[in-house]
Amino acid sequence: MGLFDIIAGKRKLARPAPDRLFAMSTAYVTFQTELSIATRGVAGIVFQALATADFEQIAQDMIEVVEGTSSDSGTRVETRDDEYDYRWMILRDQDFDDLVVGVNAVSGALEAGGYGDRILCAVFAFEDARGRPLYWIYNYKRGAFYPFVPGTGDHERNHERELRLKAQVGAELPIESELERWFPLWGIPI
Amino acid sequence: MARPTSFGRDTGLQLRMTLTLFLLGLVYAVLIGVVFASGYSFLVVLVAGMFLIQVFASDKLALHAMGAREVTPQEAPQLHAMVERLCVQANLPKPRVAVANTPMPNAFAIGRSPKKATVCATTGIMELLSPSELEGVMAHELTHVQNRDVMVMTIASFFATIAAYIVQFGFFFGGGGMGSSDDDSPSMAVVILVSVVVYVISFLLLQALSRYREFAADRGAAVITGRPSALSAALMKISGSMERIPQRDLRASEELAAFYIFPPHAKQSLMNLFSTHPPLEKRIAALSRLESQLQGAA
Repeated sequence: MGLFDIIAGKRKLARPAPDRLFAMSTAYVTFQTELSIATRGVAGIVFQALATADFEQIAQDMIEVVEGTSSDSGTRVETRDDEYDYRWMILRDQDFDDLVVGVNAVSGALEAGGYGDRILCAVFAFEDARGRPLYWIYNYKRGAFYPFVPGTGDHERNHERELRLKAQVGAELPIESELERWFPLWGIPI
Repeated sequence: MARPTSFGRDTGLQLRMTLTLFLLGLVYAVLIGVVFASGYSFLVVLVAGMFLIQVFASDKLALHAMGAREVTPQEAPQLHAMVERLCVQANLPKPRVAVANTPMPNAFAIGRSPKKATVCATTGIMELLSPSELEGVMAHELTHVQNRDVMVMTIASFFATIAAYIVQFGFFFGGGGMGSSDDDSPSMAVVILVSVVVYVISFLLLQALSRYREFAADRGAAVITGRPSALSAALMKISGSMERIPQRDLRASEELAAFYIFPPHAKQSLMNLFSTHPPLEKRIAALSRLESQLQGAA
């Protein structure tokens, strides 16, 4: 943020960073082979649903786009509004690459509709060998991923596991370098 | 072709803000010139010391003065989650989150940089507002953080503080007598006179600057949440209950008042010129213009 922005007061949303979403496709190979982390066959993209005339139409079109882009198995899409008034577009597909492509299609459609800055993040759901959930969250504004592992208690997260994941995945993914931006996402509906 | 953002630009506001800062700089340059010409420059050093103490100690003092306490995500999960999502949207690191236990609905942000910021909401505001309205208010405070308004206002008021001190010290030392024996340099009386003028002018300019930054924060909140009308609703609710609830013990400093979502002593009789916050109707009008931009941009 430049000096002039500070003086004049910046009032624009940050644009999405260069898209590094597809790094997830390649990293997933490592997840499977070395870390025995498997996809739960579901991913979500979270955005603010604006109350404008064209937004609902864009959202409706997105579903068709996603269902059209999936190669063979057919991605199923559902939408859900969470308790914070954010909209989740939830994609289900056992083919992980199709999930990444689908998420990218949703963000692309929002971007094309002029609502790219409304996207909060994308979430990919995984589970480890013992079936415990873990999530990788992609922050569009930062163009970076970070792990999110819910802990046992209410609103607790397993920081140790998250940090270990970061070390294990290493250079495979662009990982958010500032730990204070590893924002948790409670009540993930996937 | 993708539209760059959902909202238009606000060149007018930026111009007014830059002009105000320019005028402040001009007034301060006169003050510095006179003070140094008079040979009382030690005063500047003295006040600069006080200023530094103010910058580094004010956060904790302000929180303490408000009876606010930092809360963990377990204590206030909803508020934390709301702030976290807004931070992702605004591309900010997460500030500390505090809650003040008072029925007066209000919120404020402090901290000289985004990394050291704290946003605070009162228990009153959390009870009064719906989640989307509270979200608008917190986004307003986060925009203050993003715009570094605490730092800007503190630096902008630095020389006004110096002028105020010079007036006090000057009378304390009994004016004229001490200091410059040089006939060409202005006497203490002149320095005091200039300081008074500088203080009055810079006070008015600072109030104007504060109002502009308030508008900017409203706008920023609308941009972050995408719901200008929710913030309008929140402002109307807050101002409504502000009038109903008696003013409790709230001797917050004036500097702090600039960062409230709503000024604690908003008297209708006060002239706009002397107010840190724009009048409610103007803020609502600005927000409804944003709402129609958003809807019209469709």
